[in-house]
Amino acid sequence: MTLSLRDLTVGYGGLTAVDRINLDVAEGEVVALVGESGCGKTSLARALLGLLPRTATVAGSALLGEEELAGRTDWKNVRGRQVAIVPQGAMTGLSPVHRIGAQLTEMLTLHGGRADPAELLERVGLQPAMLRCYPHELSGGQRQRVAIALALAGEPRLLIADEPTTGLDVITQRQVLALLAGLGTTMLVVSHDLTGLMPYADRVAVMYAGRLAEVRPARTLAAEHAHPYTAGLLTATPVADRQVPWGSIPGSASALDLLPHGCRFAARCPLATGRCTEEEPSLRTNGPAQVACHHHDKVTFPTVPRSVHAPGEPVVRASGVRHRYRTRSRTTEALRGVDLDIHAGEIVGLVGESGSGKSTLARIILGLLRPTHGRVEIAGEELTAQRGGALRRIQRRIGFVHQDPYDALHPGMRVASLVAEPLVTTGVARELRADRLRDAVSAAGLPVTEEFLRRFPGQLSGGQRQRVSIARALVAEPILLVADEATSMLDVSTRAGIATTLRTLAVDRALAVLFVTHDLGEAVQSCDRIAVLRHGTIVEHGPSADLAGAPAHSYTAQLLDAARTT
Amino acid sequence: MPWRYAAGRLTEYAAVLAVALTLNFALPRALPGGPLKLFGSPEALARLTSDERAQIATQYGFGKPLHEQFLDYLGGVFTLDLGTSLSDGRPVTEALGEALPWTLLLVGTSIVGTALVGVTFGVVGALRRRKGKGSGLLGTAIVLDSFPQFWLGMLLIVLFGVQLQLLPTFGVSGVEGVTVSGVLLHLILPVSTMTLTGMGYLFLYTRSSLLTVLTSEPIQHAHARGVPYGRLVRRHALRPALLPVHTILMMEIGFLAAGSIVVETVFAYPGLGRLTFDAITARDYPLMQGAFLVLTLMVVLMNALADATYPLLDPRARTGGHQ
Amino acid sequence: MTLLSTQGKIGTGILAIVIGIALYGTLLPDEAGRARVADPYAPPGAGLPLGADDLGRNLLDQLIVGAGTSLSLAFIVAMATTVLAALVGGAAGIGPRRLSATLMRGTDVMLVLPELILYILAAAFLGQSFGTRVAILALILWPVPARVLRAAVLTAWSRGHLEVARAMGAPRWWLLLRHGSYLIGPLLIPIFVRTAMRAVIYDATLSFLGLGDPTAPSWGTTLFWVQTNGVFLSDAWLWWALPPGAAITLTVLALALIGISVEERLNPALREATR
Repeated sequence: MTLSLRDLTVGYGGLTAVDRINLDVAEGEVVALVGESGCGKTSLARALLGLLPRTATVAGSALLGEEELAGRTDWKNVRGRQVAIVPQGAMTGLSPVHRIGAQLTEMLTLHGGRADPAELLERVGLQPAMLRCYPHELSGGQRQRVAIALALAGEPRLLIADEPTTGLDVITQRQVLALLAGLGTTMLVVSHDLTGLMPYADRVAVMYAGRLAEVRPARTLAAEHAHPYTAGLLTATPVADRQVPWGSIPGSASALDLLPHGCRFAARCPLATGRCTEEEPSLRTNGPAQVACHHHDKVTFPTVPRSVHAPGEPVVRASGVRHRYRTRSRTTEALRGVDLDIHAGEIVGLVGESGSGKSTLARIILGLLRPTHGRVEIAGEELTAQRGGALRRIQRRIGFVHQDPYDALHPGMRVASLVAEPLVTTGVARELRADRLRDAVSAAGLPVTEEFLRRFPGQLSGGQRQRVSIARALVAEPILLVADEATSMLDVSTRAGIATTLRTLAVDRALAVLFVTHDLGEAVQSCDRIAVLRHGTIVEHGPSADLAGAPAHSYTAQLLDAARTT
Repeated sequence: MPWRYAAGRLTEYAAVLAVALTLNFALPRALPGGPLKLFGSPEALARLTSDERAQIATQYGFGKPLHEQFLDYLGGVFTLDLGTSLSDGRPVTEALGEALPWTLLLVGTSIVGTALVGVTFGVVGALRRRKGKGSGLLGTAIVLDSFPQFWLGMLLIVLFGVQLQLLPTFGVSGVEGVTVSGVLLHLILPVSTMTLTGMGYLFLYTRSSLLTVLTSEPIQHAHARGVPYGRLVRRHALRPALLPVHTILMMEIGFLAAGSIVVETVFAYPGLGRLTFDAITARDYPLMQGAFLVLTLMVVLMNALADATYPLLDPRARTGGHQ
Repeated sequence: MTLLSTQGKIGTGILAIVIGIALYGTLLPDEAGRARVADPYAPPGAGLPLGADDLGRNLLDQLIVGAGTSLSLAFIVAMATTVLAALVGGAAGIGPRRLSATLMRGTDVMLVLPELILYILAAAFLGQSFGTRVAILALILWPVPARVLRAAVLTAWSRGHLEVARAMGAPRWWLLLRHGSYLIGPLLIPIFVRTAMRAVIYDATLSFLGLGDPTAPSWGTTLFWVQTNGVFLSDAWLWWALPPGAAITLTVLALALIGISVEERLNPALREATR
């Protein structure tokens, strides 16, 4: 064994983030450590490098060969040489003032690497000419590769990659993962993306609330998983195929200070029985796999319903929309003539990578941005021709769900005033507000209790915050809902739940919904029609099922390829 | 595109020059009592006959339309003809020319001193923030930053000149005449005054900038890659931390140049500042105007010089800075 | 965190004392510190705790009245500058693109011009009455805070909750009062305090150069007479020069301490690092 963890525990002043983890990584093996935010995977990774804050305590053992990593204080000649990391957000973590060559040379000298900087670059698939570049001259994917090369410089026995694909486009994500898997280095990849890692890892370890739920060879995971949480994660990851259902795990992970006594997943598990809440299941070996569950049954989760009814009148008509951003040094063509209609009761997916112009189009439809050319009509009124009060009157018929649930809610307002804000700004009479507020809160799938309405955003989970955002978008009875990457920052287990709510709203209220996303799989699952945007042009446009089944454009096919797991 | 960057900055400095010249032209003409006041004390003016007034007005062109006056003024500036001093009848340019080198010496030394002391202590203050030395430095810097220059100068005179009798407090030379060592000795107190009052803000800014950079992603990541702490600070954190400090240093140049008026007055140092003070006291407006112009030009030029060094620190400024 | 609030408390304490003295000064008769009440150069004695200056004027009265001049000037200038900076910064942040670009170029130009030199130049030519000085200072001091506020407004305007409200048709006043004030309001405190600091120092410097209002006693003017009379060659500097000098320094120090403690509270990186 290269790495062997025995009862590894990480605590932060009484709260246990990582709880008695036992896991081995063999020589040359790629193990994926998968879980949602707050499950302790990052704490575990950082404990192996001594990067935890001072307040953290580490117990148990983590042997890397003969070196004990747990609780170590002297990391000289270990960090970077024995165990190296590709840190989370590595593409923004390169030194901005040094050339790539200088940064590689520094690592080589520090950690006694014998390779040549150019060789390192070639190993990660970059041209030696890039040695003379500064990080700001490279793309995100190239910078991620440089970060990997930096980690390889010291020829470490173990490489830890912490969320190595965050911030990258889907196609680049696969390339980076393929690169990592092909390095032949012993590796622990920490990620929230279970299905994304399955093709590249040898084994997958699923973590929930500080404990390991299941460890299993990646090849057989899709067919043979045994833990309900693994099943939940798998069904919660949207597949770009309308035949595969998309489900969500109800509820949200409990906070570290409120961990239940028995199985930590019991509260969200459809199979949970009395035994689960009383007795904590231990991780039992079963052939090549280990599972911590009392049950052996198959589990089902609630899935997103499919729409079968015909769309109504057109609500949005965008035609010939062009937009150009001008900065001091250059002009960027963000949209090059885009036409898009959205009908009542219909969810239209706008799919594209970052920089494709999808956010620009969303902002133009919201009236936040005036296009350089072209027009947008909302229910027959020309939005793009209006200013001031007339523009605001149209805007009041549009609901907006922002991408970032942590930034979209004023931290000093309570749920009730947050949701009621559009009513106040549109001057709805005070006595009418209470009913409409409660109506919107319950339509967004939130509890309508006094206690809940009095909460501040700080007291809500990410999923609840996004539902408050939806309630706020609904309360003024809009005809159009714009959801800009509304699920991208949520845990995967809650995404399908939000999509279900959006579907119900579209059907019940005959809402037109524009669903902006970078994830084609999610769009296929939740939208009626999809428009694929690339470099400011819609390259393909059609019903979700057709587009997923038989893509007409090669770019769509590429995206579908990247979104498919096997 | 470095030329674009340079061109942008050049245009900006041209605009600064234009504003400085315009202000210098316009302010005397906005003088309550009219521009004639430029030509002597109220008592002297009262003695002028109306013929003499008219003569001065024609001679200096106050009768002409404003735009012609402005062109004449610009012509004067570019031919180095700034009029005649009212107090001793010398050409203003000559008086300024004599004083300028002394001020350049004082301000130049002070800028270098302030930058070195402020940045060094700022770095120490950031690195030792949890220890006694760090908080001691922080306290000292805050207190020094609160001292008006003339007041600190006075205190230094009382302490080193009057009480300890260690250092000269007056002028640039003793009885033996102008010597290199004499001048350096005379520079100690004025430069200390400038440096001590100027370093406070630079210290605070460097400290907070370095603290911010030390918690930034590139530094955290370099730490995670096993870069030892000392190297982390020297190689990785220092340069990015100094980028914003560079901007502050440019403001510091203006502060120190203005300080020369005060400090030269306190130490009777024969530079532009002292000349300005004398001109203010004697209400010698042409001299005042000239001295202000030269001081402002000095600041603008020094700023342009400092600005030209910025791309050396930040590679992003060299290539146009997108992304 | 505790260290910061201690700093802030010390600052507030000193400032409160100076404000108290200034308020007491308004109760004094008009000629306090202006009229001849003793022999020139009288040393401290009964009724004259700080002695008299070269014209036999009461130095303690000058100190007390000077506190009022300094503080009221600093307060009004800081007020006016903050408002001006908020207007310019706000307009440059959310106004039409062309206006914004023009304002920022203008601000950049103003930033290069040395503030104190401009102040002395303008006061020398335009006059030295209280109102003129306030106006000049406010017109000179706005660029730095305007830049800070523009950046803050730009950040605030891209914040999610503000953008959502804007997209859903909330009027501008609502955006400003409900969202903008929450995001930008706290920044105005250090700006106000820093401007007040600079106003105190610059105005004292102006008076020290003999360009103060000759009819109103002020700390800087007292020190101008100290300088012209060469007072620090004698023991008289102890009661003549030390009190006004210390008063300026303490007032500025008090403001600085308040400003720094607010700034460190607002900057998460500093807060993290000093913990």
